[in-house]
Amino acid sequence: MTKHQESQAPSATEGMGRFERYLSVWVALAIVAGVLLGQFAPAVPETLSRFEYAQVSIPVAILIWAMIFPMMAQIDFTAVLGVRRQPKGLVITTTVNWLIKPFTMFAIAWFFLIVLFRPFIPEELASQYLAGAILLGAAPCTAMVFVWSYLTRGDAAYTLVQVAVNDLIMLFAFAPIVILLLGVSNIQVPYDTVALSVVLYIVIPLAAGYLTRRTLIARRGIEWYDNVFMKKVGPITPIGLIITLVLLFAFQGDVILNNPLHIVLIAIPLIIQTVLIFFIAYGWAKAWKVPHNVAAPGAMIGASNFFELAVAAAIALFGLQSGAALATVVGVLVEVPLMLVLVRIANQTRHHFPEADASTAAGARG
Amino acid sequence: MAIKVSDRAREWLKSKGGVATVRLSPRHGCCGGGADITVAEARVPDAPERYTCVEQEEVTLHIDPALVDQDLRLDVEGFMGMKKLFVEGASPTRSKQ
Repeated sequence: MTKHQESQAPSATEGMGRFERYLSVWVALAIVAGVLLGQFAPAVPETLSRFEYAQVSIPVAILIWAMIFPMMAQIDFTAVLGVRRQPKGLVITTTVNWLIKPFTMFAIAWFFLIVLFRPFIPEELASQYLAGAILLGAAPCTAMVFVWSYLTRGDAAYTLVQVAVNDLIMLFAFAPIVILLLGVSNIQVPYDTVALSVVLYIVIPLAAGYLTRRTLIARRGIEWYDNVFMKKVGPITPIGLIITLVLLFAFQGDVILNNPLHIVLIAIPLIIQTVLIFFIAYGWAKAWKVPHNVAAPGAMIGASNFFELAVAAAIALFGLQSGAALATVVGVLVEVPLMLVLVRIANQTRHHFPEADASTAAGARG
Repeated sequence: MAIKVSDRAREWLKSKGGVATVRLSPRHGCCGGGADITVAEARVPDAPERYTCVEQEEVTLHIDPALVDQDLRLDVEGFMGMKKLFVEGASPTRSKQ
């Protein structure tokens, strides 16, 4: 056992500042603020909704790019060179992310939203919520996983590789998976609309992030990029997220006021899916005797969602006022508290896994 | 300090000038906050005076002082002519940011 593993794991919230620790509270406040804005100052969202080009809302597109670009700009694609270092972890998490998770999300969400909750949710709205759940399940988290990795004393180098691999796969797999599962659900979405949303909210931010990273590192150096540029750009993501939610709920006010129970009903399958996926990946890792510092972050990457992309795709495909957009926001609402529970489970079950010879972990920044 | 440099990494570093920097690289979370990961690069740091300098078998290592107490291992990985350093063995430390 290394000195590293002998020391205690950090507490479940040690790596988190006040904003992310209470993200659910801020999201709830954004919902309230958005609903109030929509009810008492409807001219604001109405005016903003007029700025459109090719049926794309310009203010929403700007907010979504503000959410996604900083995450893309910090991806180090050279990390994929380490793809052979933790093959078991990569096989488990990649398989869970792309071959299991989207389909269990569809099955669980379909069972709860379409079948079990039929008396509580109108059929058309239930299909919209299902679409939102499908979008959540089709894209794995790319940024918070570093925090989850730190909190479980994960191998940060493995986390870097897994994120880079996932982002490359996402470029090609997100649209086909979404089209397939929406098709199975009888939810009609034009292919060109899906293609446009992938180009707008994955390809463009990813290309812009990659080019920005390469250009600025070549001109100013990697340390300036990490410590000056990303320090300024990184915090834009959560700010963009909260403003997007306020705007979204300015349009969703009537849905929320008429169906407040729906948020709870949507949350139930999302929570079950997240816990299930965590245990599939974690149990698989245990069966394969994967060290805990790979098993834990691998399971966390498998379980968490790239909800900014899901929100963006839901808005692009179904509109700000859609049930799909609401469902993706419920994903944001439950994400942090749920993942912190999984962090605790991972840390308390560490002794069931073999120790690594050496590991590279992350240090927290609140 | 117990930093180990693999033979493969040492030979590769010598071909790149014989210098490496081991530092903490911040990663921002989408929900705010973030985490620092330990990275290694074959270059001189921007401000060498802020690093602990170690000479080891014809290789000069500039190590972030927050990492000097860790059991680090430097190695090189990659394929088809594309190679990069990686580092293992760093314990979590709070970021300077």
